[in-house]
Amino acid sequence: MEEIISQLKVKIIEALNLEEMTPESIDATTPLFGEEGLGLDSIDALEIIVLLEKNYGIRLANAAEGKKVFTNIESIARYVSEHRTK
Amino acid sequence: MAKSIAITGSGIICAIGNDRDMVLKSLRAGTRGIGPVSYLQSSHRDLPVGEVKMTDNEMKRQLGLPEDAVYSRTSLLGAIALGQALADAPLSVKDLEGKRVVFISGTTVGGMDVIERYYSEMTAGDDMAKYVNRHECGYNTDEIARICGLSAKTVTISTACSSALNAIILGSRMLLSRQADIVIAGGTEALSRFHLNGFNSLMILDHEPCRPFDKTRRGLNLGEGAAYVVLEREDDALKALRHPRGYISGFGNRCDAYHQTATSPEGDGAFLAMSDAMTMSGLAPGDIDYINAHGTGTPDNDHSESVAITRLFGDACPRVSSTKAVTGHTTSASGSIETVICLLAIKHNFAPDNIGWTSKDDGCITPCMGEREVELKNVMCNSFGFGGNDSSIIITDKPRTLNFGQCHDAISSTPVHELGDKADLSMVKQYISPMEARRMSTLMKAAILTSMAAMNDVPNRRVDAIIIATRYGMLEQGQKILDHLTTHGEDQVSPTIFMQSTHNTIAGSLAIRLKCHGYNITYANGDNLLDTALQDARDLISEGKANTVLVGCHDYCTETFMNIYDTAGIKFTGRLNSKSLILYKE
Repeated sequence: MEEIISQLKVKIIEALNLEEMTPESIDATTPLFGEEGLGLDSIDALEIIVLLEKNYGIRLANAAEGKKVFTNIESIARYVSEHRTK
Repeated sequence: MAKSIAITGSGIICAIGNDRDMVLKSLRAGTRGIGPVSYLQSSHRDLPVGEVKMTDNEMKRQLGLPEDAVYSRTSLLGAIALGQALADAPLSVKDLEGKRVVFISGTTVGGMDVIERYYSEMTAGDDMAKYVNRHECGYNTDEIARICGLSAKTVTISTACSSALNAIILGSRMLLSRQADIVIAGGTEALSRFHLNGFNSLMILDHEPCRPFDKTRRGLNLGEGAAYVVLEREDDALKALRHPRGYISGFGNRCDAYHQTATSPEGDGAFLAMSDAMTMSGLAPGDIDYINAHGTGTPDNDHSESVAITRLFGDACPRVSSTKAVTGHTTSASGSIETVICLLAIKHNFAPDNIGWTSKDDGCITPCMGEREVELKNVMCNSFGFGGNDSSIIITDKPRTLNFGQCHDAISSTPVHELGDKADLSMVKQYISPMEARRMSTLMKAAILTSMAAMNDVPNRRVDAIIIATRYGMLEQGQKILDHLTTHGEDQVSPTIFMQSTHNTIAGSLAIRLKCHGYNITYANGDNLLDTALQDARDLISEGKANTVLVGCHDYCTETFMNIYDTAGIKFTGRLNSKSLILYKE
């Protein structure tokens, strides 16, 4: 689980071009969306869907399904560990 | 005060027919043109599309063109529709002599199909580089005119899915202000892998035939096609014994200024565009007999369009239907394709069915499921695009007196603020947060810097219209998608990149930044770019539609494309050029 969390931090920073952030600066429980969290938006959610498919072979059918999974890095990591196909 | 603009001819080709008669027959029979991909070379067998049922070679034969010559599918579709429109009016070369003729065409992907086909060869320095200019939207407009032997001034509009309707609006304005005598306006768009994969990355494609306004709708089906209408002042048309088939009696173009691809929950841009069209026509909500909705079938669009319609019409909601369930969403061509559909509906007394609708969604209007033997006098046609670019027109069976005036107040301008290759783009950080900057391309950063510099010259003014011109569009993003398709195939295209790949990305982003809900347009001509934009700004101020207009001309060529152009013998003096200024009423 910890390993997936660190992997995800690196990959999300890269895919979303979060230039000002480092893996250390992101807490796994910080909300990804909204003003109080990292401030990501709906296009970032789509980008994370692409990232999950590319790296873990996970196919989410639509953005609404993604919303439940993408609360924070920890929740994505949990989902990845349960559903990964590669 | 002015009189409605007469529509004296039309041409159409789309998934439900290769000409007006076939389209009419399909509409009356409720035939869908949607099916699995069969003409486009794509691996997405599971995505239904609305293809035109002709191969490129079949179209070339019909147009009398050699089969071994390279033409974009966008141009071929456009030439077929333009040829029909000229023949329908009819307008011969002789009729056009001594007249100021303008051909205005909307497109977004232009000749992307040609670029996709030869991209590997082009980047390898092959002779195929000579086809590189096909990706320029303006090239396709000029080519369509050339194929049809039409000698006219050409203008290209690229505001994503509202392009064709904006072409019709511009044409009407040019006629009303007597800058043109005859205008042929509309749009053309062919399916491409670029387009299909881009929309797929946004997860707004339905894997079933689409169901606009239905509770179970999951997205749109992409389509392709072209349509043009011949526009002229009524007195000219009658003098020339051409028969008006309907009239443009109102129009509005506004910006949602909310998000690059999503629509505002209250449908602000759509509401404002429809309201402007109504005000200009002098009609009351109860006078509208039918609305051909934008109705793409995405959960987002259909909801906010319904909210906007309800805001405007209240309990007097007219019949509303979307014909995209049969044609597919023909993006840049949809506005003119649906204008022609409205003309057919008026002439043949029927309201087209909203095919595919079965279950009521409480967040949407209840669409019209088709009506026959109904008199349609006043019809509204909506077309909305990425960048929150929302347009609406009113088509009437009889001419009306319009609320359209021109004044001649003095117009001032700021100096031109310009940036080139040596610009320090990191300066953009004084205007935007790192979260915004992370997605921005070179061109977008330069455009923001020159726009802000122009705005600083008139600190007490609020921009109420945005006019942008770009020949190459968002080439950085376009190239990234082409590179991706070439190396990784049709999977996992980046939604962030696609959403910023349309030519009107700059105009849309600036509108969001400046909270500008006013007129918003992007020109993509081959030449006379800045002149076209400046003329529009002056006209807009004269029409009383704006007081402070931000005008920009922005282009950036990537290294890869510069090399391809170089192989083709076209040299660039610089890669980046961004100019902005503000025109304002004194």
